Amino acid sequence: MNSVNPEIRPVQARTRPRRRTRIIVPVRRRFGLRTRLTVTFALGAAVLSSLLSAITFGLTRENLTAQRERSAVERAAVDAARIPAQLPEVPTRLEIEQLLRDIPLTDGAAAALEYRGRWYTTDTQSFGIDAVPLSVQSDVEAGDAIKLHASVNGKSSLILGVPVPALPGGYFEAVPITDLQRTLDRLALTLFIASLLTTAGGGLVGYWASRRVFAPLLDVGTAAEAIAGGRLDTRLPVGGDSDLDLIANPFNEMAQALEDRIDRDARFASEVSHELRSPLMTIAATVEVLENTRDELPERAQTALSLLAADVDRLQQLVEDLLEISRFDVGAIKLHLEDVRAAEMIIQAVRVLGGGGVPVRFEPEVGEVMVRVDKRRFGRVIANLLDNAERYAGGATAITIERIEERLRVSVEDRGNGVPIEERDIIFDRFSRGAEGGNRSNDSGVGLGLALVDEHVRLHGGRVWVDDRFDGEIGARFVVELPIIEPPADSVSDSLIEPVNLV
Amino acid sequence: MGTRILTVEDDERIRTAVKMALEDEGWEVEEADTGEEALQAFTRQPADVVLIDIMLPGIDGFDVCRSIRRVSDVPIVMVTARADTHDVVAGLEAGADDYLTKPFAPKELSARIRALLRRARPAEVGVTHLRFGDLEIVPDEGVVLRAGVELHLTKTEFRLLVELASAPGRIFSRESLLEKIWSYGYFGDGRLVDVHVRRLRMKVELDPANPRHVITVRGLGYKLQP
Repeated sequence: MNSVNPEIRPVQARTRPRRRTRIIVPVRRRFGLRTRLTVTFALGAAVLSSLLSAITFGLTRENLTAQRERSAVERAAVDAARIPAQLPEVPTRLEIEQLLRDIPLTDGAAAALEYRGRWYTTDTQSFGIDAVPLSVQSDVEAGDAIKLHASVNGKSSLILGVPVPALPGGYFEAVPITDLQRTLDRLALTLFIASLLTTAGGGLVGYWASRRVFAPLLDVGTAAEAIAGGRLDTRLPVGGDSDLDLIANPFNEMAQALEDRIDRDARFASEVSHELRSPLMTIAATVEVLENTRDELPERAQTALSLLAADVDRLQQLVEDLLEISRFDVGAIKLHLEDVRAAEMIIQAVRVLGGGGVPVRFEPEVGEVMVRVDKRRFGRVIANLLDNAERYAGGATAITIERIEERLRVSVEDRGNGVPIEERDIIFDRFSRGAEGGNRSNDSGVGLGLALVDEHVRLHGGRVWVDDRFDGEIGARFVVELPIIEPPADSVSDSLIEPVNLV
Repeated sequence: MGTRILTVEDDERIRTAVKMALEDEGWEVEEADTGEEALQAFTRQPADVVLIDIMLPGIDGFDVCRSIRRVSDVPIVMVTARADTHDVVAGLEAGADDYLTKPFAPKELSARIRALLRRARPAEVGVTHLRFGDLEIVPDEGVVLRAGVELHLTKTEFRLLVELASAPGRIFSRESLLEKIWSYGYFGDGRLVDVHVRRLRMKVELDPANPRHVITVRGLGYKLQP
């Protein structure tokens, strides 16, 4: 059996659990709809214009040729009819040739007379006896008028044979039709260019039409994007075009349903928030009252109080984290964004947390770099990273702030055991503590800290990941990357920081 | 007689626990479990500080706050279970001086009350008389006049105005105002400053939409235009 055991799956990169299988409408073709529409229009125009060109060319050629032949035939007949009267009784070769030369021929044409088995011509070079097959000559002498296409003197020509029964003999004319050919060639070229232009025009019309048709679809895309970006009240205009309303109405219904649902969830989270906070409030206040009388309590009660106090803190933290996470899930987070100096904020965050021992390092010019953040939430990011280092790696050893082009990098390093490559993604999952953290009995964390870091940072347009330490020694480096913003031009430097290592 | 705190809270257990913890801190605590009762109690004998839970049956915390504000500039602390919603801004706009999010440590509440009471005694600026156009400030007497007419500012608003007036034209960052007026650190809530500035403008500016005195400097903070 070579079937794969379904239990064994490759280590998955971080994925969000999905409640339902996604329904994805299959994409039909490799090319976009717009490309296909444009190409279809162009092809249609090409086929149509080619067909019309071909028909035009065919008809024109037939007409022109027929007309030319008719006039040539008529002329030849007239010329032939005049010969017997002008021919002396016993003509000499010179007299016959003179007679032929006197016939008014069109430019480049040649005349010949077959008389008593001999061939007289105005142009011995190219219209000799070989120019007309013998069988044709005898047919003409026998009384048949003929016409045939042949090449005379390298020119495409029409050869006409008219019987002259009075002699008897046959009169022949070779009329070049190169000018006709030239006219037809020019016509063909003109028609070809016209076809090309029509094809291009068809393509343009197709492109324009596809854009017209697509514009409302693009609006739908923009609206969907806005909704995905949190603008839940986005709606499409209805009532302009009954065809488009077929899209706009269901879209708006979907948006409304989504908004209602998120509202409901957010309200629920808010209710839960209140319900959980009230008993916690009582417990927190009561514990404080007990703490105030700690000295009067027996030793066992003091121990119990310590346990209670510690877990009340933990419970509070858990409730806070859960509520924050649920706010993320329903998109109910409202960031209170401010433009702040990143270095100053991080130093303040370290100070507030009592992590005064952690040095914050940065180059002087990085001290002025501004970021747009919700200060208090970003303070939590730093707090959680320091807390994480404290808990699993004996504390952070340094925080380094760097500017990498248009982004700011904050690295929190520790000297713990590091994070194995395969855990570097899942460590940011909820309630995932990695192999390191799982067996700590006195662990007061609840495994939401790094998940919150990840959510917060992403909400700020940044990202977070784990890397090796800068110096390559054993330990971990948590890196937070944020986009930076340009400081206001008239920025006053009333900053609290000195741009040196702050210990 | 000690400093009296009126706490308005409908949850009896919370009320009792907070009362005990505050009494441990040395405050005198009077309780009310509804907005109506709180207003009666306040009318009977105004407290030095009022602590109001926003979610109350009957008239809610915002209304209690507004009602008290109409008759008194007593420091008011709002208590909310929801910190990130509009509750905070609405509470501040109703006239609260500060807010706390449940569950809070009573020791933290005590610290906030101390900060509020400390700043309720003004006149740290050595100047006795400040004048900005039609605006006149007498720090020692806690009086602000516009065109000779006295304006009713709460103590926090007054303190904010005096702070800005201590260096006319200088830009005060939100952080520095939070520290000086509310004793908050760097991560204090900037909305406290924003809403108080808004309230201050409503009172001292002729046209609050186009302020002439209390000016916002985008991205930096606030200043008082002389």
